[in-house]
Amino acid sequence: MRIVIAEDDPLLREGVALLLRAESLDVVATTDGPDTFLAAVEDHEPDVAIVDVRMPPTHTDEGIKAAVEARRRQPGLAVLVLSAYVEQAFATDLLAGGAARLGYLLKERVGRVEQFLDALHRVAGGGTAIDPEVVAQLLSRSRPDTALDRLTARERDVLALMAEGLGNTAISERLFVTEGAVHKHIRSIFAKLDLAPTDRADRRVTAVLRYLEDTQRRT
Amino acid sequence: MPEKQPESATPKRVARARAVLDALEHLVGGLGTAILALAALLWLVLVALTCVVGVGLLLAPTVPRVVRAVAERERARLSRWGPEIIGPEPAPARVRAAMADPAVRRELGWVLVHGTFGISVSLVALTLPINGVQDVTYPLWWRLLSPTDPAPNLVFWSVRDTPDALKVALLGLVLAVAFLALGPGLARLQAWPGRRLLPPSADVDLSLRVAQLSATRAAALDAHATELRRIERSLHDGTQNRLVAVTVLLGATRRALTRDPAGAEAMLERAQDAAEQALAELRTVVRGILPPVLADRGLAGALAGLAADCGVPCRIDVDVPGRCAASVEATTYFVVAEALTNIAKHSQARHATVTVRRQGGALSLRVEDDGVGGAEEHEGSGLTGIRRRIEAHDGLLTLTSPPGGPTTLLVELPCGS
Repeated sequence: MRIVIAEDDPLLREGVALLLRAESLDVVATTDGPDTFLAAVEDHEPDVAIVDVRMPPTHTDEGIKAAVEARRRQPGLAVLVLSAYVEQAFATDLLAGGAARLGYLLKERVGRVEQFLDALHRVAGGGTAIDPEVVAQLLSRSRPDTALDRLTARERDVLALMAEGLGNTAISERLFVTEGAVHKHIRSIFAKLDLAPTDRADRRVTAVLRYLEDTQRRT
Repeated sequence: MPEKQPESATPKRVARARAVLDALEHLVGGLGTAILALAALLWLVLVALTCVVGVGLLLAPTVPRVVRAVAERERARLSRWGPEIIGPEPAPARVRAAMADPAVRRELGWVLVHGTFGISVSLVALTLPINGVQDVTYPLWWRLLSPTDPAPNLVFWSVRDTPDALKVALLGLVLAVAFLALGPGLARLQAWPGRRLLPPSADVDLSLRVAQLSATRAAALDAHATELRRIERSLHDGTQNRLVAVTVLLGATRRALTRDPAGAEAMLERAQDAAEQALAELRTVVRGILPPVLADRGLAGALAGLAADCGVPCRIDVDVPGRCAASVEATTYFVVAEALTNIAKHSQARHATVTVRRQGGALSLRVEDDGVGGAEEHEGSGLTGIRRRIEAHDGLLTLTSPPGGPTTLLVELPCGS
């Protein structure tokens, strides 16, 4: 897996590169701003880009814009965006064109190496990785009297993991249940929320996130 | 406590001397505006007379404008050494409407008084110190004068020998003492018509004051938001990034422990470095919010600390009884910090002085240096930030920095306590 990193903080940039190289992943370039990042993507044609949201010059959402632009230039590129804090607008901007090959994680998740590598591989393999914090915010802000309330506690757990982009196997491992049980929960969730059932993880993510955003907007 | 006596007596004498010098300055400044007022008055008379032949009618619109210009000068002058006098709204353009405007009428009244009475007060009052100095020194140089007309002003006896000359010196002393006693009073007397007539009448004043307060309140909220954004950014982009680096390095170390113990050791070292950097940055951020040194050592101690860190030798003179509101002290601290940074960076000064005094309900701060001058306030400079902070407190900032120096930064801050 060929990786390009864009992060303006030198310590963090080298830390992430060090971690990935120690895992025998191929970090082909590390960059410190949107322009150098786009140039590196052009030069190296990586499989995955790891991009910080706040980069020079304005330190607002340069990373999101750079990520969207990089995907426009190289459509197959998987992008994992790292952010210092959860901003749902960033996630919405990023996922506007679908959730496949996209990830949005809090920076500190990188320290939980197994889960971070899992998210990285998932994104590189065409899936999605959404930070649990994003999903938690969406769930906590949703209107009280929606269909969400009709979900059982276990179904809500499954919904949250589904929204993070996990597949059925991963969900069953996290919740210590059988895949069959997960499958049943998911069918029930889609029925209660009145969503068209789908097995593709990224479509599921988009559907669920959109549903959560809608319940939020109507409040 | 008898040994305290000289200490308390000296500041009193210093304060007295300062009051007399201030009075002198005010009387000279007052003479300036009084001459302008007299000129405006003469112009008014001239226009009125020529109205009879018609030409004056064309010139009439200039009268309220000239009067307003002179009054504005006096307002600015009086605001510098007393309660601020806010100017009225622009006068109506048409002469008839302008003459009906109460603010213009009050200004006309002031021009009449200041151009006659005010000018006399200045002339009489300034006679005292000028002749005083001349007469006191008279015995030293009277022999150089031509023998036909040796007597100075205000001396009605003829001077022929040293005792006569010494009598002149005595008179000079009397004049000087008279000025010491009367000067401040005369300065106040001269300013009195302006202070009565130039502020807008009470109802107008309030609406202006409300507008001004709304503006400063907006500026306060703005400064507050800017401040919060700055703190947020230094926490997110500094401290938090360091801590994330710590977790990343710790995560990597855990994975490497069995595989590559030597590499793990090196990563731990880096993780510790990052944690220490995070602590250092956290300290910087906290110091930027409210310097702990202010609470520990007070304003004088905190400013002395700044002076000790400054590259240019700097004298700190703080004479503020009691404590001011924390935000006022913090603002003072940041203003001095910024000013000293600028002095060290740009002024090439050899010496700087920071003076802080409490005058009534206000804290007055003066930062001077003997550098090259030419300091300018432009968007994005630290000075703009300072000005916003000060305006948020309803305070005033004046920067004087002619090319070639010296540079003086004057700040007035209401104490809030």
